[in-house]
Amino acid sequence: MSDIPTCREVARDLVAVAAGEAGAAATQGVERHVATCPPCRDELGRYRVLEGMVSDLRRAPMPGADPTLARAELESKLADIRSRMVAYGIFPSPLGRILIARSELGVSMVRYIDSDDAARSHIARLAGDEVVEDTTALEPVYRELLDYLNARGTRLSWPLDLRWAKSEFQRRVLAATSDLPYGAVASYGGIAKRVGAPESVRAVAQALRHNPLPIVIPCHRVIGSTGDLTGYAGTRIGLKEQLLTLEGVPVSGEGHRVDRNHMYAWVGPDREYCVPSCGGLSKMPLAQLTLFGSRRHAEAMGLSPCSSCRPDLHPLPA
Amino acid sequence: MVRDMTEDPFEAIVATHHAEIHRYLVRATSRAGDADDLSQETFVRAYKAYRALPPDANVRAWLFTIATNLSRNHYRAEGRRRQAMAVVAVGASKHSPTWPEGEAIANQASARIDRLVATLPFKQRVAFTMRKVHELDYDAIGQSLDCSAESARAHVFQALRKIRQGLDDVDVVQTER
Repeated sequence: MSDIPTCREVARDLVAVAAGEAGAAATQGVERHVATCPPCRDELGRYRVLEGMVSDLRRAPMPGADPTLARAELESKLADIRSRMVAYGIFPSPLGRILIARSELGVSMVRYIDSDDAARSHIARLAGDEVVEDTTALEPVYRELLDYLNARGTRLSWPLDLRWAKSEFQRRVLAATSDLPYGAVASYGGIAKRVGAPESVRAVAQALRHNPLPIVIPCHRVIGSTGDLTGYAGTRIGLKEQLLTLEGVPVSGEGHRVDRNHMYAWVGPDREYCVPSCGGLSKMPLAQLTLFGSRRHAEAMGLSPCSSCRPDLHPLPA
Repeated sequence: MVRDMTEDPFEAIVATHHAEIHRYLVRATSRAGDADDLSQETFVRAYKAYRALPPDANVRAWLFTIATNLSRNHYRAEGRRRQAMAVVAVGASKHSPTWPEGEAIANQASARIDRLVATLPFKQRVAFTMRKVHELDYDAIGQSLDCSAESARAHVFQALRKIRQGLDDVDVVQTER
């Protein structure tokens, strides 16, 4: 049997034993020592009492520790941050790399990008502190977009957040453009008429040039008065052609043009669509027409074949 | 449909942990008003960072780490402020813990302990509070204090020794003789 440890030797272990955290050897040493040493037994007793008092701290109410007010202020701070917060992800797509961003309110940006880093600094400049890269949060949006770009869907019915629209006029232009159905095209002049500013064709083109949500707000469906595709997302006119082709709009490859003679035409507010030679349609400015690449897409928006030119009986050659 | 961002999983984190972190910060800073500010700051920081947290992370221990770091900075700033004040207020009364304030609870044993806790050096104070009040394990406490679990344990025991000595003066420990 070993010697009984001294007061000095057990001093360090008293706290651990009282706390129930000492190893078997230390506990045994302390027990053997206090059996013969009343002062150390008292000391251990004090530590045990202290442990009991300390455990009361867990239950005792704390004066001044009411978290209610702090919690309420926190909730309103978080709500404020949340409303400014923008999450984004960068993804591959058939149209190249794309950045998609969203807020609490909805999707706020779709952007074709050349460089991930440049795109990151762009959105950081726009959104400030409250921007996070969160691919997981954007994944469902991306999946839907991918379905759309692979012709597995014709609608992107997301809630949108137009925080990055530059003016009230641009908002109106974007709203009118959103009304253009899948598979249809209209001219910049046509959009200008629809927003009640028929003279502002250039302003409409500018507004669409800075569309924060291409594809979703289908500015690719807006073309020049002669049928020229004119421009898209900087110098990406090829993407405009790709999107229109996906929707069944005939585009001639060489000249980047939509040929109105190969498209069905609709003049609102009539609910009928026609072949391009019907009545005086061929002389009518493009600004007054909406053109469809196929009867299917015209009928998908509730139009019926014109009763005089009968596009159902005399369809355009495919 | 796009996932609704208003269904924020962080709300559950706030609901589960805010009261406890606030309670911890009252002891860590010794002042309820500071705990209000620091508990908000803790959760605002957590909110901005929690997306990057691995799914199996111990959220509670992580929140304690943020709260501890904030109160350490706060403690340092307070220390500087106190020093500056001391220069101005020559001859002011001896330092006494600013918390708790109510005389009514001054006789309670737990209030006495809290009074002593408030006088401990920062690491001992928060290590003691995390271990004895919030029952975190030493690994988590070590993480919060950027030290080993062993050092965390040493801080807790050192705190217990000091509290034990402090209680001798007020004669509460004599009850079990």
